Amino acid sequence: MTASAFLLLVVIGLLVGGFGALSGIGGGVVLVPLVALYYDVPMHQAIGVSLICVIATSTATSALFVEQHVTDIRLGMTLELATTAGALIAALMARHLDRRTLALMFAIFLAYSSLSLVRKAWGSRKEEKEEPVSDYAVHNYPMGLMASLIAGGFSGLLGIGGGPIKVPVMYLFMKVPLRVATATSNFMIGVTAATSAVVYWGRGDVNMAIAAPLVAGVFAGSLLAARAKHRVPAFYILLLLVGITGWFSAQMFYKVITGGFQ
Amino acid sequence: MKKETAATDHALALTLKIGAYSAFACIVAGLLLHYFAGFSNKVTSAGMIILLATPVVRIIVAGIEFLRERDRKYALVSLGVLAIVALAYWLGV
Repeated sequence: MTASAFLLLVVIGLLVGGFGALSGIGGGVVLVPLVALYYDVPMHQAIGVSLICVIATSTATSALFVEQHVTDIRLGMTLELATTAGALIAALMARHLDRRTLALMFAIFLAYSSLSLVRKAWGSRKEEKEEPVSDYAVHNYPMGLMASLIAGGFSGLLGIGGGPIKVPVMYLFMKVPLRVATATSNFMIGVTAATSAVVYWGRGDVNMAIAAPLVAGVFAGSLLAARAKHRVPAFYILLLLVGITGWFSAQMFYKVITGGFQ
Repeated sequence: MKKETAATDHALALTLKIGAYSAFACIVAGLLLHYFAGFSNKVTSAGMIILLATPVVRIIVAGIEFLRERDRKYALVSLGVLAIVALAYWLGV
């Protein structure tokens, strides 16, 4: 790899890690299509690279939330029983799926993400205040465990964090405050992604030439951004992400239809 | 918040921080050596392994902290998560 290609990966990592930490998006949803479309590697490798970056974002940012006592460690560890099981099963399944099927699944997931980001962006216009977390009791564990199993499955299959599945369920059905739900989901993602990343690693699907410079950028970006949070309006970042995910989704559909991703 | 719970949070935050910064330092050092000093090395791989191992260490630290809080139920939960992750390592590598 040339020095400029190497530096480009570091910069991409910086942007994805930084924007991800600022907007609460893990980054996998952008990294998988980016690596699959522009670095011409098999889908399985794109997913493996993304999982590594997702672990980096979670590890770098969740330390801060845990320190501020926003993360519900007990709830997180309980739900991790389900996310890790889902991630392991899905990572083992992914071996038997061909590249085009995975690419098609990801294209559909991207289209869905793009639409749900529109709603998230709309909601972020009125910025929620940093109120101290009030006391709460966790409800409906079966529902939370089921959602976590599915979120873990998506993580292991598609190389994403799975926050968009867990956070709403924790907030709406388990009656956990939104800030706690977000921080706890973020906390769980590191363990979940590591579970499936190991399986991808074992198969040789973690392409080090791409993963190493990317993850260096992601680390730096998310460490910096986690401190700058709430000084940059999330609305514009989310709007940008709507465009990027929509564009990637269209490109992936096009490539699948025209016989790509072999 | 109870004092023990605050101590657990502190131990976990410290574990995550040490993992994040040491993985980052190794990956960057390895890459700099490779691209700018021109010799290939295993420092980057070591950083990746630290990155993959940090969540596992975090589970173990949580388990120990729960035991210290005399919370046997959640110590068992931690053990359960650790077992699934260990299974992934055994099947994967």
